[in-house]
Amino acid sequence: MIEINQISKSFAGKDAVKDLDLSIPDGKIFGFLGPNGAGKSTTIKMMTGILPIDKGSIVMNGIDVSKDPIKAKLQFGYVPDRSDIFLRLKGIEYLNFIADVFEVSQDMRKEKIEYLTKSFGIYEALNDHIQTYSHGMRQKIVVSGVLLHDPDVWILDEPLTGLDPKSSYTLKEMMREHASRGKIVFFSTHVLEVVEQLCDEVAIINNGHVQFKGNMAEMKQQFAEDDNLERLFLELTQNE
Amino acid sequence: MNKAWKLMRIMVKMQLSMANKSTTEKVGYLLIGLMMIPFGLLVLFFIQGLIGSMYAALEPLGNESVILGLLFVMMTFFYCFISIGTVLSSFYFAEDVESFISLPFEPYQILFGKSAVPFLSLYGLNSILLLPSLIFYGIHSSSGILYYLFAVLIWAFTPIIPFVLTAIILMFIMRFANISKNKDRTKVLVGLMGFIFAIGINVLLRLDAGTGNSDISQMFTQQNALLELITKFFPTAYFSSIALTEIGSWTGLLYFLTFVCLSVAAIVLFLTVGQRFYFKGVLGLSGGRRKTFKEEKMQKQLKPQSVFVSLWKKEMRIILRTPTFFTQIVVQSLFFPLFFIVLIIMDPNGPLTGWGSQLNEMEGKKVILSMFGLTVVALGINPASFSSISRDGKSWFNHLYLPIPASNIILSKLLVSFFINFLSLLLLSVAALFVLKVPLMIWLVWFIISLITGWIASMAGLMIDFYSPKLNWTDEREVFKGRFIGIVPLALEATVFGVIILILWTSGLHGIWSTSAVLTGILIILTVLIQYFLTMMVKRKYYNIL
Ligand SMILES: Nc1ncnc2c1ncn2[C@@H]1O[C@H](COP(=O)(O)OP(=O)(O)OP(=O)(O)O)[C@@H](O)[C@H]1O
Ligand SMILES: [Mg+2]
Repeated sequence: MIEINQISKSFAGKDAVKDLDLSIPDGKIFGFLGPNGAGKSTTIKMMTGILPIDKGSIVMNGIDVSKDPIKAKLQFGYVPDRSDIFLRLKGIEYLNFIADVFEVSQDMRKEKIEYLTKSFGIYEALNDHIQTYSHGMRQKIVVSGVLLHDPDVWILDEPLTGLDPKSSYTLKEMMREHASRGKIVFFSTHVLEVVEQLCDEVAIINNGHVQFKGNMAEMKQQFAEDDNLERLFLELTQNE
Repeated sequence: MNKAWKLMRIMVKMQLSMANKSTTEKVGYLLIGLMMIPFGLLVLFFIQGLIGSMYAALEPLGNESVILGLLFVMMTFFYCFISIGTVLSSFYFAEDVESFISLPFEPYQILFGKSAVPFLSLYGLNSILLLPSLIFYGIHSSSGILYYLFAVLIWAFTPIIPFVLTAIILMFIMRFANISKNKDRTKVLVGLMGFIFAIGINVLLRLDAGTGNSDISQMFTQQNALLELITKFFPTAYFSSIALTEIGSWTGLLYFLTFVCLSVAAIVLFLTVGQRFYFKGVLGLSGGRRKTFKEEKMQKQLKPQSVFVSLWKKEMRIILRTPTFFTQIVVQSLFFPLFFIVLIIMDPNGPLTGWGSQLNEMEGKKVILSMFGLTVVALGINPASFSSISRDGKSWFNHLYLPIPASNIILSKLLVSFFINFLSLLLLSVAALFVLKVPLMIWLVWFIISLITGWIASMAGLMIDFYSPKLNWTDEREVFKGRFIGIVPLALEATVFGVIILILWTSGLHGIWSTSAVLTGILIILTVLIQYFLTMMVKRKYYNIL
């Protein structure tokens, strides 16, 4: 359970997120939608402790993110929107580093790294520097790092951009599986088909405000006149 | 050309923007600027004294043009040297090069834009050194208004030719030499070049000092002969010197015009050569390489270790694998001790060899204080410390969402720069114990004091970097170049430790033990104090630098 209570964030006086209120229940895949610059990444950065919260609070599984940051950070795994990770490390060194940070046991890391990187098709690249990876490969190594320590909460900022169809399918399956174990998957995206296929709940944000939140059925019901999601999305976010 | 100007404006804006700096940081820059004023005045004072005494000595013989000649030769030399680094980083290594190449620009337009920032940095140096020197010369030769007019024009034109020539040579090298095929290797080579250069010059000077120079005295009596000798390889320096000494005469004007024409021609040549060769050099550059996959080797690396060890290893790996960090941090830190050793070994009968055995006869206080002073100079410029945060660049944010306490990250970074300090201390120890034959006890005392000093230097450097880190770099060189940051820790430490040394030197203490005990005490108090401020700073700033 993640509770986001009335958080705000401004950059140089300009609001990026304003009084945002969300509650993300366990066992759900939660889609976070919005046009470019809506404040998705900013919200996620506040959830993960990268940006300080100007106002409001975020409570993750009962732990306040700003009051007890280390404990909160042990709860989640995060895939950033940019793959600017430590480029001079080798893939394997990066994963080993993450495993050290989250204290994954020797056997566990061996097994998981093999399984994850093989299913993403980057196993053979593990001994190369991340610098030589393609954008999608970097994305995959970060995702593997997150799945490696098996956190309760997954926070993914546009995880599917840059992935090839097969890997995209694999990741989506993994997301479903995680939620079915009663855990949380929170991810941002622009891709409406993904939302339709995958999400249990959605929130649409625009200009730092929540425009809509609810489950898929509610959303479709409330906007019955809209025959497809795309038109609904455009309608919700066009008021500028 | 219009397009080129626009491109240049954008590039300059991108690199020099203060837009995402907070007001406190701007105030910080202002403070640093103010702090540099006394330092600058000192330099000015020194230049003024030098020019004054040289003028007094050379003017009666009609050889005062030598002063200007020397000045211009020196500046040309500086400009070439500095341009090597800035040109390579701006033209070839910056990450944004690729994004400009894909835009519909002519090569010369991109070059024009890319030259702006390196060129501006030359003007910084130009204003600090050349301009005051020219003014001082004007005062000593009691020149008229015409001199100052020419001086300003020459000041404006001087950096052009050295910069352009360096750039052209580099473009040829990058085009034809094989090194350009691997970016990393090129960077290491370029980084080492500076050091080889420094050692080489030193060796040359030492060899040269032996040979007699009897005809020099003869030249003193012949007008401009000395100038010709000095500017033999730098014709432009000759032209500008004559232009400024023969003010008001046709010769002066002629030389001045020649100089201006040459500068303009140089620019044209630069753009023409660039148009033909620039892209060919850039497009071959690639970063990194891939090896064949060895499963076992990879599996072996999977070992649990403490987070702390893991962090430290990560930092070390990044330093060792990033060519710029390697040359700027590892090579540079080890350079001073190595240089020192080379100096002693080159000179086996010199005053330094076996100097250690005389230490027993000197006053203990003075021995330990001088050795401490040496340490401060050797450790004060540890680039590992003042690049601690900035090295991470755009990947800094990764530390923020991982469940690692801020203090651990900072400590691991401190240990990295301390480790580099430790290596140079070890090297110095080898020199001290085996070449200088310093007594074991004295060495031990010095070593302990140096370790504490190294720790203080690491903390100070890290704090200064932390105060205003540069995370938005596109080429690693930007972490070191064009920031005051290299000088600030050294200036700060020189001041603080200088005062300590001065106080102890003049104090009533005499023996080696009492002095070292007091010194150690002071250092420990300093360590605690700085640690306190560092902790405060981490608390306040760690999550707020993005
Ligand atoms: N570091 C920053 N400094 C200033 N403004 C920022 C910064 N980061 C984000 N913003 C602003 O905050 C707003 C929200 O940005 P954010 O990155 O959260 O958008 P987003 O919803 O993730 O967009 P996208 O779909 O393009 O990823 C934007 O208006 C952006 O300009
Ligand atoms: Mg985003």
